[in-house]
Amino acid sequence: MPKVKAKRQSVSLDMTAMCDVAFLLLTFFMLTAKFRPEEAVTITPPSSISEKPLNAKDGMLTISVSNEGGVYLATDDQMAREFMLERMANRYGVALTGEMKKNYMSSEIVGYPAGAMRQVLSIKASEAKDKGFLKGIPVDSANNELSYWVGYAKLSNPELKVAIKGDQNSSYKVFADIIGTLQAQNINIFQLVTSPENKPK
Amino acid sequence: MAEIDSSGGGKKGGGKKRSKKMSTKIDMTPMVDLGFLLITFFMLTTTLAKPVTMQLNMPDKTDTKETSPVKLSETLTVSPDENKVYYYQGIPTEAGTKLEVTDYSDTGIRKVIADLKAKVGSNFTLVIKPTKKAKYRNMVDMLDECAITNNKRYALLEIDPDTEALIKRSGK
Repeated sequence: MPKVKAKRQSVSLDMTAMCDVAFLLLTFFMLTAKFRPEEAVTITPPSSISEKPLNAKDGMLTISVSNEGGVYLATDDQMAREFMLERMANRYGVALTGEMKKNYMSSEIVGYPAGAMRQVLSIKASEAKDKGFLKGIPVDSANNELSYWVGYAKLSNPELKVAIKGDQNSSYKVFADIIGTLQAQNINIFQLVTSPENKPK
Repeated sequence: MAEIDSSGGGKKGGGKKRSKKMSTKIDMTPMVDLGFLLITFFMLTTTLAKPVTMQLNMPDKTDTKETSPVKLSETLTVSPDENKVYYYQGIPTEAGTKLEVTDYSDTGIRKVIADLKAKVGSNFTLVIKPTKKAKYRNMVDMLDECAITNNKRYALLEIDPDTEALIKRSGK
């Protein structure tokens, strides 16, 4: 009887399938990933035990408060964004050029007094940030421009939900001013953006 | 791991001379390596912590009809300051009103709220009046305490001069 020889198996395997999976996953992650929107200032929200995720189905109007108390406005509704700019420019007598509109739409946030609008929008968004033009929207009772911005945004899309993203060390007074402004327009429900924290016990 | 060319190619007994057949297989290992490297990179650099929200409902200012009276004995007024919390029961202008001070730890204000809530029951109302020095974080902390102690009755108000005077008088 001849010896039974174990048949030599090839050590190579077909990697095509594995490669397909790898690149499929890669494509999926790259396409679903959202770029972090450009922030005028770094904001560290306070933590809370709340577990409700930020729901932005019908559009979101985000009011950010920086550490120094500057107020910034952002929305993911592009129609409302454009509408806000047109109305605000009209109100403060700023003649809009195509270039200014482009600069406005390219930046995610609004954060300057209406008086500085022409100056800010005539340069690129990143330059305006570097030059320190983004000082925030005035909310004091003498000159409450936030009220107009929010009013126009709501006019364009009444379904917009209002989220407030405050820095944990920003003053409560700024927050009270914002709440007061919004309540005057009968907006009574706010989403306070926080970072998650473990529930005690 | 390289591919071993196992497809023919060797000379078989003096036939016609053929051009050597090249294998159509290519080594995919580096490509797979690169693919997984990129996946790992993207997965590690994406932010996992999605922001959460806390809903805050404020009363409608235009609708003044629906006000529910609350008893003083069932109410606790807290005044969050930057590093401490003032709290009292009753009317701030009265001499008998005692102002206490505590901190934000779980044995501090949380215990105060939980104890009083247990004593008073479901009608317990928390009135939050942040001081002028309070930070935004302090207010969120207080709302968080309400969520932790499962207290649904709370009001967020501006601080009034009487409460400020009480804090000043107590010297704490």
